[in-house]
Amino acid sequence: MADVKKHDTPMCDELKKGPWPSFVDDVEQRGLHGKQECLDMLGQLELSYKHKETHWKHGGIVGVFGYGGGVIGRYSDVPELFPSVAHFHTIRVNQPASKFYSSAFLRKLCEIWDHRGSGMTNFHGSTGDMVLLGTKSDQLEPVFFDLTHQMGCDLGGSGSNLRTPSCCIGKARCEWSCLDTQAICYDLTQTFQDELHRPAFPYKFKFKVSGCPNDCVAAIARSCCSIIGTWKDDIRIDQSAVKAYMGGEIKPNAGAHGDRDWGKFDIQKEVIDLCPTKCMWMDGDTLKIDNRECTRCMHCINVMPAALRPGTDVGATILVGAKAPILEGAQMSTLAIPFIRMEPPYDEFKEFVDKIWGWWMEEGKNRERFGELIQRFSIQKFLKVAELKPIPQMVKEPRSNPYVFWSAEEVEGGWKRDIAEFRKRHAA
Amino acid sequence: MAVDKEELKKKVLEFATKKAAHKSKMYIKDLYAADPNASPREVKNAANELVREGKLEFFSSGSTTMYGVPGFGKTLEGAFEEEK
Repeated sequence: MADVKKHDTPMCDELKKGPWPSFVDDVEQRGLHGKQECLDMLGQLELSYKHKETHWKHGGIVGVFGYGGGVIGRYSDVPELFPSVAHFHTIRVNQPASKFYSSAFLRKLCEIWDHRGSGMTNFHGSTGDMVLLGTKSDQLEPVFFDLTHQMGCDLGGSGSNLRTPSCCIGKARCEWSCLDTQAICYDLTQTFQDELHRPAFPYKFKFKVSGCPNDCVAAIARSCCSIIGTWKDDIRIDQSAVKAYMGGEIKPNAGAHGDRDWGKFDIQKEVIDLCPTKCMWMDGDTLKIDNRECTRCMHCINVMPAALRPGTDVGATILVGAKAPILEGAQMSTLAIPFIRMEPPYDEFKEFVDKIWGWWMEEGKNRERFGELIQRFSIQKFLKVAELKPIPQMVKEPRSNPYVFWSAEEVEGGWKRDIAEFRKRHAA
Repeated sequence: MAVDKEELKKKVLEFATKKAAHKSKMYIKDLYAADPNASPREVKNAANELVREGKLEFFSSGSTTMYGVPGFGKTLEGAFEEEK
């Protein structure tokens, strides 16, 4: 066994019990095989449990030359107790689109990290990056050099930057994907390199791309600009497969709930009655859909994937302004563009992004997310800036908000009135 | 109206240096005041070029990034060295 010192960590050890794999086990094993940083990190964690407060300080001027993001400075405030984690910086590495790796790539990355850092990783961070946990300041440039020259990958976003764009598995593995999510994610990453690596904004900004409305990357909940695949034409129906579902020859939900006997499949109860817009019905033994009323909830397609498929006239719905609950609670993103073609070079989409970034950079307060800016000004102001026309889908219900403000340019003749002319018709 | 880049860089550096005397770390938005005629993106580009030249430096809180002037204010790394 390597010459390492294990700290006494009774509270951390409690976490090894129970049915799930424990990070304490994994970190400790790596530590006992020669990484003192891992044991020191657990020692400091134990101290934090005891004191009920963190012993990490974060931030500062750490990074690689020319980049304002990608490295998060982290220091122990008890370095005399845990000297090997005195500097323990986190490095975010831009993940490949849809997180496809070869085992050779992962081995090489781990080799670099074992050599230059703590050997601990976090696959993946919430934004999607590969997170390399814990290294010293003098190792940052060598790690960056190795990542870029040997691995062909780059640092991800952190700070007031565009964060690493992320996408679902898309057409690579999913029959429902209406978009080439990897191509969009890669194009945005390349186009906005400067915004990704150098601080440009009042706060962070996130793009996430989902191939269909199932939204597997939760773009609608987590990104400032969600790009979600959709279709314009009709849901494709294979009536013989519908009958096969009804007859029990094909398992609903592709057998995903097959571990229990839920009884015979009932298309009325399990599909038609659950349609949020009630746009489906059975005409004899034929399934009918009024596609004009469909909101792309995907429920029927998820239940009967062999019978129903998204249409073929595909594009994306763009929504803006989701965020986590730091200020005023969590917020889902709001519909901005119901349908946009997403074909290279994505010029129409990029023009939209330019407009909203321009507004945010001009008007956004320090540490104000894009969704909060819309909240502070109004959807109306956002639509004006983005040069979008309001549509009924943008309001929850009609005629419930009396505070509709017209601007002078929206009214014929503006606000100017000829009082003399007015008085001719109306006595004072 | 496009602003001369070198002129803008000079203004941003002057503004940041003056401000650094009482507030050593600035948001990008604070730097917009260096030249009200320049667009936010022009100021951002000028400030980032100054960082590349070593005349300004980034300071990160982890979630937000700020700009500083080398020599003004403490860096966390500096504070850490002092504690040792």
